[in-house]
Amino acid sequence: MTELASRLDDVAQRFDAAVDRANDEQALESVRVAYLGRNGEVTTVRRAIGTLAHNERPAAGKLINDAVAAMERRLQAAYEELESRSFDAELATSIDVTFPSIRRPAGSIHPVRRIIEESCAYFVRHGFAVVIGAEVEPDYYNFDALNIPNDHPAREGFDSFWISDTLLLRPHTSPMQIRTMQEHRPPIAIVAPGKCFRRDAVDARHLFQFHQVEGLLVAEGIHFAHLKGMLTGLCRELFGEQQNVRFRPSYFPFTEPSAEVDTTCPKCKGAGTLKSSPMGCNMCGGSGWIELGGAGMVHPNVLREVGYDPDRYSGWAFGFGVERLGLARYEVDDIRRFTKSDPGFLAQLS
Amino acid sequence: MRVPVSWLREFVTLPPDARAIADRLAMLGFPVAEIERRPTITGVITGRIADLQKHPNADRLQVAQVDVGADAPLTIATAATNVTAGQTIAVATIGAQLPGLTIAPRTMRGVASQGMMISAEELALPGDWFEDGIMQLESSCALGADVVDLFGLETAVLDVEITTNRPDAMSIIGLARELAASYGTGLRLPQIVNPGRAAEPPGEEPNVLIESQDCYRFVCQRIDGVRVAPAPAWMRVRLALSGQRPIDNLVDVSNYVMLETGQPLHFYDARAIHGGRLIVRSAHDGENIVTLDGVTRTLSPAALVIADDERALCLAGLMGGAVSEVGPTTTAIVLEAANFNGARIRRMSNALALRTEASARHEKSLAPALTDLGAARAAALLWDLGATVYQPHAFGGPVTRAAAIALKVADVQRLLGLSLHAQQIERHLTALGCEVDRVEPEVLAVTPPAWRCDLAIAADLIEEVARIEGYERIPVVVPSVAPHEISSGAFALESRIAGALEGLGYREIITQSLRDAGSVEVRNPLSEEQRFLRDSLVPGIVEYLAENASPARIFETGEVFRDEQGGLVEESLLTFGFSADPLDEPPWRDSHFLALKGDCERLLRKITGRDAETKRGTQSGFHPGKTALVTLDEREVAHLGRIDPRLAKAADLQRPAYLCVVNIASLPAYETPHYRVPSKYPSTYRDVALVIGVDVAARDVERAIVATLGSLCTDATVFDEYRGPQIGQGCKSLAARMTLQRFDATITDEEADQAVSLLLDALRKEFGAEIRT
Repeated sequence: MTELASRLDDVAQRFDAAVDRANDEQALESVRVAYLGRNGEVTTVRRAIGTLAHNERPAAGKLINDAVAAMERRLQAAYEELESRSFDAELATSIDVTFPSIRRPAGSIHPVRRIIEESCAYFVRHGFAVVIGAEVEPDYYNFDALNIPNDHPAREGFDSFWISDTLLLRPHTSPMQIRTMQEHRPPIAIVAPGKCFRRDAVDARHLFQFHQVEGLLVAEGIHFAHLKGMLTGLCRELFGEQQNVRFRPSYFPFTEPSAEVDTTCPKCKGAGTLKSSPMGCNMCGGSGWIELGGAGMVHPNVLREVGYDPDRYSGWAFGFGVERLGLARYEVDDIRRFTKSDPGFLAQLS
Repeated sequence: MRVPVSWLREFVTLPPDARAIADRLAMLGFPVAEIERRPTITGVITGRIADLQKHPNADRLQVAQVDVGADAPLTIATAATNVTAGQTIAVATIGAQLPGLTIAPRTMRGVASQGMMISAEELALPGDWFEDGIMQLESSCALGADVVDLFGLETAVLDVEITTNRPDAMSIIGLARELAASYGTGLRLPQIVNPGRAAEPPGEEPNVLIESQDCYRFVCQRIDGVRVAPAPAWMRVRLALSGQRPIDNLVDVSNYVMLETGQPLHFYDARAIHGGRLIVRSAHDGENIVTLDGVTRTLSPAALVIADDERALCLAGLMGGAVSEVGPTTTAIVLEAANFNGARIRRMSNALALRTEASARHEKSLAPALTDLGAARAAALLWDLGATVYQPHAFGGPVTRAAAIALKVADVQRLLGLSLHAQQIERHLTALGCEVDRVEPEVLAVTPPAWRCDLAIAADLIEEVARIEGYERIPVVVPSVAPHEISSGAFALESRIAGALEGLGYREIITQSLRDAGSVEVRNPLSEEQRFLRDSLVPGIVEYLAENASPARIFETGEVFRDEQGGLVEESLLTFGFSADPLDEPPWRDSHFLALKGDCERLLRKITGRDAETKRGTQSGFHPGKTALVTLDEREVAHLGRIDPRLAKAADLQRPAYLCVVNIASLPAYETPHYRVPSKYPSTYRDVALVIGVDVAARDVERAIVATLGSLCTDATVFDEYRGPQIGQGCKSLAARMTLQRFDATITDEEADQAVSLLLDALRKEFGAEIRT
């Protein structure tokens, strides 16, 4: 018995030393196998119980079991110590978090598309459909059906690129009004975004290729107040809740009454002046308003042309220049930037 | 149109602030592009040179005693040479403020001068439009009157934009009428009555023969006893403020009347009319006329002229001819106030590239009634100048009264969403000159005034009511839109494509649709570089890539155009791709190509819910060995590949470019994927390495594997390719992995091995493939 106890002591002492020496998990595992494994040293000691007297055996068994439990605790502690040391090592590392990022290629949609999509989303939320169509259209859809007969002075305002005697690049998206009304019966509620072309000299405010968003609502009981309601909402959607919208009388052959639509200059907030510039706001030219485009109640001749009874149905239409909206929205200095698409420009506005 | 506010004030009472007037005009539909402020001028009064003596001490100076209506005359020394005793002039008194100058007492060579006689330039008028030296006023001017007040010099000049439907508003009276209606104050129109009563001396009655139906009315009047001289100062000042250079009293009267009433006039020297009558006719082919600007113009029958029996005297509505021009020797004139078909005048103006103040009005179709008004106003002004005015004669159609328009009161509310009483509507329309009768309690019969040809239907009147009431009074109401069945599909598809490409790391650009090549030609291009409609998005994108120094990933969606057997075909295309630095790869591999193909597959999967197939193909402009056709359900929808290096070189591309072109219309509708429950038994895999002919496509090997193994094979992928001396000429090595799985049991190693040996037999048979060991 005494001998067994002393052997056990010896094993335990060597075990402790081995555990102390082990400095990784693999070494610890070897120690475990060598001492506590099926053929480990403790097992050898345990086998010696058989040589003891019967009355000594329970005490010896307890002695061994206690020793094993202590060794297992020691081993567990050693494992935990090792793990904690490995975390400490990992946690001791650090990097410069301000080092330039690794970037995946950045994608973006064009700011023109963004304005079109946001405008259309607003109208879709209010029950409108979005329609798109061809860029080359017959003069019938561009002019005649829109109450602009040949020789009408208003045709001068649409200086167009002609393909043949009757075909031209559309100078506005209005052909979609006619096509939609011909294909459907009221109610008609559409927005028609798209590319348009006019033979304008290109400068900081003009492009010969530009985009419009056109809107048309025709049903019974539609009036000018509804036009103000929807366009005020659109401007607030695009420029913010504080936005005001102004309707001025104007003239278009396809609407009567007609209006020019202005909205509060988003740069000077309608003040016409800027703290940074003594010359007045360069976005609106000091007026406090920016022009968005034309609008009005659909002319009875246009309704009649598509077979609608103007005494029963009424409606409104509007057409805004998308790049013009973009100038104001993104405070862009020159409208040509929208066509040059330089990567810096696109990256800034994306 | 330049509108001096002081001229407007003659006809209507206006607020003092020009900005307020400009805002009001804008809200009436006449935006003001610019408010030109006049400089502050004070202390300038009228005076008469009562006495003029040589300066005692200076040869080049004179000393005047100027009567300014006060007890004592002012002593003023002057170096001006155009002064004589008795003249009425403008005098800046001591303390007077002129632009950049304050008048102080000063002594000129010993003579104390109590002021300064001044020129037009010192009143901030264009100096070269007025006489050299001291500005001459009429003797009728009251002495001591403030010159700034007298001529309206201090108020602003507005640059007013007038829409094409309102030629009646291209006049001071027209705009004054609008303002009077809007402010609710009266319009102070002078009684314009033609003073011509007497019959002409025998043989001098004007006679007009109208041969063209594009002349609707021609009022003609003979005026004798004219003496060409500068016009009165007040008229010259008004013309100058309006941007018209004063010429002489005859030309100035005709311009003044045009600006005031809107009716252009023409004066003929009576001596130049051979045969005694005017003929309104189309020009003879090749007929020449020298116009007032000195240009000889050769005409076609499209031009409308006023001629005598021998020759064209005037381009109708545009400009007079030199041959009948009034001048210093003119003593008798024939006045023309005519009305023409606006379209004819506009075509003529465009064809001759000649645009005048007259044509700008005529081409918008003026009201015929204006002819009588314009003639009367001019006759009255000439009468005031002392001319002998004979009776007017009108030729052509009579001035007819417009038909009454029925206006339902309820329609005002129906179209505007603003409720107005019949009385309010009536008040607004009457203020604009309409005659309004109440035919029924809620129906008005509205007769537009003679000068408003643009008012034809009820909606026109409703706009007038809204303008005068003020658009700002119309409420703001969000409509509720009834359900309808109009589809947003095409737009939504484009949006989804753009969104997917944004997610794949491509930036959207918009390039020019008008280019230097294509099959559809523009008849009137802005330049040779923009003569054609593009037939592809590729050139624009290649140009963009070439202009950018660094590699770029971009896309564009847009319309392209082709001429097919005389018919124009328009298609929506998507083109996306990138430029990238070449990789260190063997010639039979191009990872950039594979990356583009991967993006194409991702995109098509996302947009259509289907997996695309690719096969070798060719496409003009693309590398013949690195181009693929992309199909969905056997239908070709796209092609992709590397841009032909020769084309890239020509376009100055610094690095290879890879592009994919998708025909948007050919994409099938989105197919919702359905979930397939995977086998609950584990799968295993086998890799095989095959030696196979170089022309065998990897995809065909994958297909063959799946076809041979059937449902046992859930996936087959070629994952490596190698070519080299070890493999042998004309051959390549492909490594493929097949995933094997059963739905009813765990697949055993024996089954898997058996499947592989079956497969290898089949591949040997189909492709002559050998196992690589």
